[in-house]
Amino acid sequence: MKKEVIDLNKDLFVLQEELLFPANTQVAVYVSMDVGAFFALDSVTLKIDNKEVKNYLYTAREAEALLKGGVQEIYLGNLKVGKHELVAFFTGKGPVERDYKRGATITFDKGVGAKYLELKITDRVTKHQPEFKIKDWD
Amino acid sequence: MKTRVAVQHFTYRLRPLLLSGLLLTLPLATSGKNVKPDPNGLAPQDVKDLHYGDVLFYFYQDDFFDSITRLLAARQLERLPNTQGEAELLLGGLYLSLGEHVEAGNIFERLLNSNTSEAVRNKAWFYLGKVWYQRGYLEESERALRQVSDKIQPRISAERYMLLAQLMLRENRYDDAIAALSAWHGPPDWTAYAEFNLGVALVRKGRLPEAIRHLDQLGRMETSNEELLALRDKANLALGFAFLQAQRAADALPILERVRLDGPYSSKALLGVGWAESALGEFKRALVPWLNLRTRNLLDSAVQESYLTVPYAYNQLGAGGQAAEYYNSAIDSFDAETKRIDDSIEQIRSGNLLDRLLDEDKKDTLTWYWQLKTLPDAPESRYLYQLLASNEFQEGLKNYRELRFMSHNLDDWREDLSAFNDMLDTRQQAYNERVPKADAVMAATDLDAMAKKRVDFESRINQIEKSGDVAALGTLEEQQNWTRLKHIEDYLATHADDPDLADLRERFRLLKGVMYWRMAQSFRARLWNERRSVKELEASLVETEKRAVLVRRARAGMPGNTGAFAGRVAAVGARMDQLQQRLAALSERQNRYLQALAIRELQAQKRRIEVYQIQARYELAAIYDKSTQPKPRPKANP
Repeated sequence: MKKEVIDLNKDLFVLQEELLFPANTQVAVYVSMDVGAFFALDSVTLKIDNKEVKNYLYTAREAEALLKGGVQEIYLGNLKVGKHELVAFFTGKGPVERDYKRGATITFDKGVGAKYLELKITDRVTKHQPEFKIKDWD
Repeated sequence: MKTRVAVQHFTYRLRPLLLSGLLLTLPLATSGKNVKPDPNGLAPQDVKDLHYGDVLFYFYQDDFFDSITRLLAARQLERLPNTQGEAELLLGGLYLSLGEHVEAGNIFERLLNSNTSEAVRNKAWFYLGKVWYQRGYLEESERALRQVSDKIQPRISAERYMLLAQLMLRENRYDDAIAALSAWHGPPDWTAYAEFNLGVALVRKGRLPEAIRHLDQLGRMETSNEELLALRDKANLALGFAFLQAQRAADALPILERVRLDGPYSSKALLGVGWAESALGEFKRALVPWLNLRTRNLLDSAVQESYLTVPYAYNQLGAGGQAAEYYNSAIDSFDAETKRIDDSIEQIRSGNLLDRLLDEDKKDTLTWYWQLKTLPDAPESRYLYQLLASNEFQEGLKNYRELRFMSHNLDDWREDLSAFNDMLDTRQQAYNERVPKADAVMAATDLDAMAKKRVDFESRINQIEKSGDVAALGTLEEQQNWTRLKHIEDYLATHADDPDLADLRERFRLLKGVMYWRMAQSFRARLWNERRSVKELEASLVETEKRAVLVRRARAGMPGNTGAFAGRVAAVGARMDQLQQRLAALSERQNRYLQALAIRELQAQKRRIEVYQIQARYELAAIYDKSTQPKPRPKANP
């Protein structure tokens, strides 16, 4: 019985995605963290083509889930085929508990298939600094 | 003499009741950590599939419903090409958490039958072993757990051996369990649980001297962790009662006194301390913990017993009057309690118990560890604490809560489905409005002619390059000036013999040379610009053609697409209706089952109180009997 409800829930989830975010216009942005010794994430702001599309404040539980290896789908939206620019701003606590704000930018081509972008927060051990990158999953 | 026999008999009956209650049914210690599947290691540190990471994001927040939904969706949409094995293991674990043992077992067995890596197979055997264990199929569980090789993460390996030991204990195979636990090595935070289980197994096997070492060590453990503090109390309680059972009251006393007064085992420890003192003939000292116990909540079985042990101690001290007073008070208290239990049973029968229990519950997630921890402020609540401690009730309640959660989840989707239908209608309407405009634009756009123009343009550029026609790429001003020079040149050509024009001819030659030189200088750059324009034009044309294809495809596909979506929305809506009905019926059945469990528990409490009540009445009668017997007359001196 529970399995049937779970299956129905999954079908509804897929239906919703295909209806609202069809592959030909779908753009999904994810956030991942690796290690996190030099950065404690507080929030992420996303701008696509100079328009703010997301401003997300993290709970301790969510930040912990990211550190354990979870990847958050922070934004799911629609974009026309063509060139676009994504700018991400990360705020949090950097090394020595100092307030820290950094940005990362990527220009990407939206084709006819779904576009996946990953905001990667990693530690640069050699420099004792966090590093923020955007990966285009083609 | 008769009374004395009765008191001794009563004492004899009371003590085994208590001891058996503790030692034989003492639950095994289980660390909460060994229930949840450990996705460490299942989860890639490096993100191999974004969608698997997304599943883990919810999993790590203990939001299992979102996690399993996203996992199934990602699997259906083939978004887990690099994490299939791990994802299947996690899926099995998630089904397991929701009590879907059959589905979980199927997944693990499927993984074992497929060509999977040793690591995945090991984990599949492990989780399959867990499925069987939780369902009570101990033989199958042991067989699966023994298939796991030692090439597995230390934490999973430790949990595997712990499970095997627990399984043996459940089968009363104490020797096997002792052997397994003696050789067990695991993470430090689990060692305490293994030590406790080993100690209990040794006690049950009658090997007290060996058990002492393990339980005593645990009973002296330095910790501030609440879970471990409770385990420490439990170890002291187990050892204390083991000593009592072995007639070693003097040894039991200091051990039982280690149990915290504010901990969950303090009532039982106080009762034990009293028994140890009384076994040493120190009835006055025994009264101290027992009188303390008597001030506590009568629902606790240790407190209930103290209602009998206090007058028993007074009686032993020869204070028959006080003993009778306490027995009378016990009988009154037991009467009142029995009445309250009857009222509560009626309350539960009237329904809504579960909804009241779950009223304060956070409803937005399904988690592995969910347990009801607080009870509503209702008369029957006080009787349910014991019920909450039982696995059967908690499991049943978790199940009921899951059904209720799922029903609410479907209710939420129902609103969304209605929005989807509106959206599809709007799309259809927009389509109907836009099609004529789109058709007009498409009809007015001759892409072939545009393509031909681009080809002509490129040919012209090629020709200019080939002929070196620098003026053809000049600016408008340059081209006008060049045309004027051409006119002058033509004029000079027609008056070639006119000597008056010699000066003009010289100036013309100079001007033409300067101008040609300037245009020739810019020619390469201008040619490059023109070629770039050609390329851009080509790209724009390709893009336009692509869009035209998309427009044509969308135009043709839209009605079918909208129709297909409408069909899917209708189909899921019908499934939703049907499942909602079944969920309601199942919830009702579960409600009745849990109510029956609650009533059964209350009736058991009532029966226990009735037994105590009979004992109290019997002892009271014995005291009266003794007091009414004529005192033996002193023999007259001969």
